[in-house]
Amino acid sequence: MESKFPNRLFPLLILLPTLLICGMFLYYPVAQSFSWSLLRSAFMGLRTLYVGTQNYVRLFTSSAYLHSLWISIVFAAGIVILGLSSSLAIALVANRKVRGARIYRTALIWPYALSPAVAGTIWLFLFNPTAGVVNFVLERTIGISPDWVTSRSLAILLVVTAAVWKNLGYNIVFFLAGLQNVPGQVIEAARIDGAGAWRCFWRITLPLLSPTAFFLLIMNIIYAFFGVFGLIDVLTKGGPAGATNILIYNLYRDAFMHNKWGMAATQSVILFIMVVGFTLLQFRTTGRKVHYGG
Amino acid sequence: MLALLVVSGFVVAQEKTQIIFWHAMGGTRVEHIQRMVDNFNLINPGIEVIVEYKGSYQDTLNAVQAAAIGGTVPHVFHTSQIAMQQLLDMGIIVQAEDLIEKYGIIIPWEDYIEPALSLYRVNGRQVAFPWNSSNSILYYNKTMLDAVGETMPREPTFEDILRIGHKVMDAGLAEAGITWPMHFWFFEETMAELGVDFVNNDNGRSGYATEINLLDPAAIKIMEWWKQLYDEGVWVNPGRENWAQARQNFVTQRCAMMISSTSDVNLTENAAYDGGWEVGTAFMPIPEGYERHGVYVSGGSLWVSADHPDEELKAAAEFVVYMSQVSQDIEWHQCTGYFALRKTSLQALELEGWYELHPNYRTAADQLSETKVSSATQGALIGVFPEIRTLTEDAAEAVYGGKSVVDALTEAKGKIDQALVDYKELMGG
Repeated sequence: MESKFPNRLFPLLILLPTLLICGMFLYYPVAQSFSWSLLRSAFMGLRTLYVGTQNYVRLFTSSAYLHSLWISIVFAAGIVILGLSSSLAIALVANRKVRGARIYRTALIWPYALSPAVAGTIWLFLFNPTAGVVNFVLERTIGISPDWVTSRSLAILLVVTAAVWKNLGYNIVFFLAGLQNVPGQVIEAARIDGAGAWRCFWRITLPLLSPTAFFLLIMNIIYAFFGVFGLIDVLTKGGPAGATNILIYNLYRDAFMHNKWGMAATQSVILFIMVVGFTLLQFRTTGRKVHYGG
Repeated sequence: MLALLVVSGFVVAQEKTQIIFWHAMGGTRVEHIQRMVDNFNLINPGIEVIVEYKGSYQDTLNAVQAAAIGGTVPHVFHTSQIAMQQLLDMGIIVQAEDLIEKYGIIIPWEDYIEPALSLYRVNGRQVAFPWNSSNSILYYNKTMLDAVGETMPREPTFEDILRIGHKVMDAGLAEAGITWPMHFWFFEETMAELGVDFVNNDNGRSGYATEINLLDPAAIKIMEWWKQLYDEGVWVNPGRENWAQARQNFVTQRCAMMISSTSDVNLTENAAYDGGWEVGTAFMPIPEGYERHGVYVSGGSLWVSADHPDEELKAAAEFVVYMSQVSQDIEWHQCTGYFALRKTSLQALELEGWYELHPNYRTAADQLSETKVSSATQGALIGVFPEIRTLTEDAAEAVYGGKSVVDALTEAKGKIDQALVDYKELMGG
């Protein structure tokens, strides 16, 4: 049945609150980012100079920015692969019917409840080269004392691991919910047909979990690009020598430490375009490789 | 009728000029400042200063900029000396000397020590009120050095630090010889000691700086020393600008020496006393065979913003002058280790026997008073200081990672010179 509004203004009136809020908090800032990206600025915009596309040209010819882009991809890959596989493994174990399962499940969600600053500080204490517990144990057992904050690859490893740990609870909750929805009869039927646990997992559980896994894939990529900022600020401040300086941290530095809002706006436009591209990709692929329902 | 007059008279007497003051000193200093402000309010019944701690220097500066856009900048605010050029270009402040002259306030500039004044002197005029002033010194664990039969010279060299560092490590007394926060400020102070300007145009004082002197032989020499200390495991990296961790490394005796701000004297002495060992202090280390020029004063200053009614500006001027009057100056010095700014305070402290009792406070004062006045020891005036810190610290970390000193400094110089020229263009300079 097709319904009709009494006049053409009425639907607009109903939409007005949404449009106002979206306009003020989404469209206007986005439009402003685009216009700011053509400026060089200081003092939060008290002083500006029109420079055309200079910011874009400088970014794409800057080896530091391209390196930051590369580091962001490495981070995202690390966080997605390590994060999803470890949380799925833990969720599978936690899903078993054992005594005190609820307590374990609750405990697993704790890291997610910590603020990034607290989590970062805890990791910093653990991995401190001179005073940290980790190096104390390593030195006593195998006689090495790695310098986690000065070595490039160790710093990346440290931040990725901390970021994975921090987001573990979030992933586990969704995997657990997904696992609860895997019908027991299907698994039972397969068992009767002679399928082993491994086969049941690959052929039944995983395909049925794919909507959850796909959702988490997207959320973890977004987390890797935008959410680990707090951890980086506490742990490495983007160092050593830019080794953990991902795109969002570079943007933060330019905007709030270096006071270069024009340059920061340009970077936010680039991130905006990346997110748009990513969303389009998500819409295209959803439904093809992912099983929804039984 | 009479009652009405009495009541209205009472109301007039109660009306106070309110002054907002934002500062950037955390920890126990919040209380010290509150006490100084309370005292000011007590002796100035017509003025009420409302004090607020706004976080780090950078947080405070960001808050001031945001307030400038909103139109309500606090009357008095406190920021680091690295924000000086930005504040001068922003057009929201009234320069210190102009303020004093306009409202006929008396401030005995000649009683202030020259290095603290000269830092905030631009084109021959005082632009800000010097306040918490410090520089960097070397701290060492005297007990540990005694155990290996070493005494720290008053003016140590790079070679002394290496030798002593290795000695305490070989003796198994400490995990590393020395530590300091991965902060380029210490590099800049060492360049001042060698008498080399950090940037061109007389350290940015005769015009906007357009080039950084990172390829000066002195700069290369300092970076090579940093690299050698790291490569030989004598220096331990507490992390980027991680002051707390550096202090912890030193006070828990994991490192025998530390370079840090003179404002750490109080804290370090207390920790050493609790731990049952003795802390000593010395001048900043420099390479052997070089002449000492002294360090530049660092720390923070007080600024007054321009856009307020006359009576509020006058009250603000009285407040900032009060903050470095002799009694406040002495109290602040004794509570924190920041310098006493007034010659009268220094004499009073000397008479009181303060320096006899606390020789570590004297090291800082001597290092400052022996400073030769030049553009190098006056400190750099740069609009993009925070960005320079990021880029130079990146360069240092790249050197620790194996990059050659000259390559890393050349790369950093390229980026910094660009940022300097960009800033100059933006300001129409």
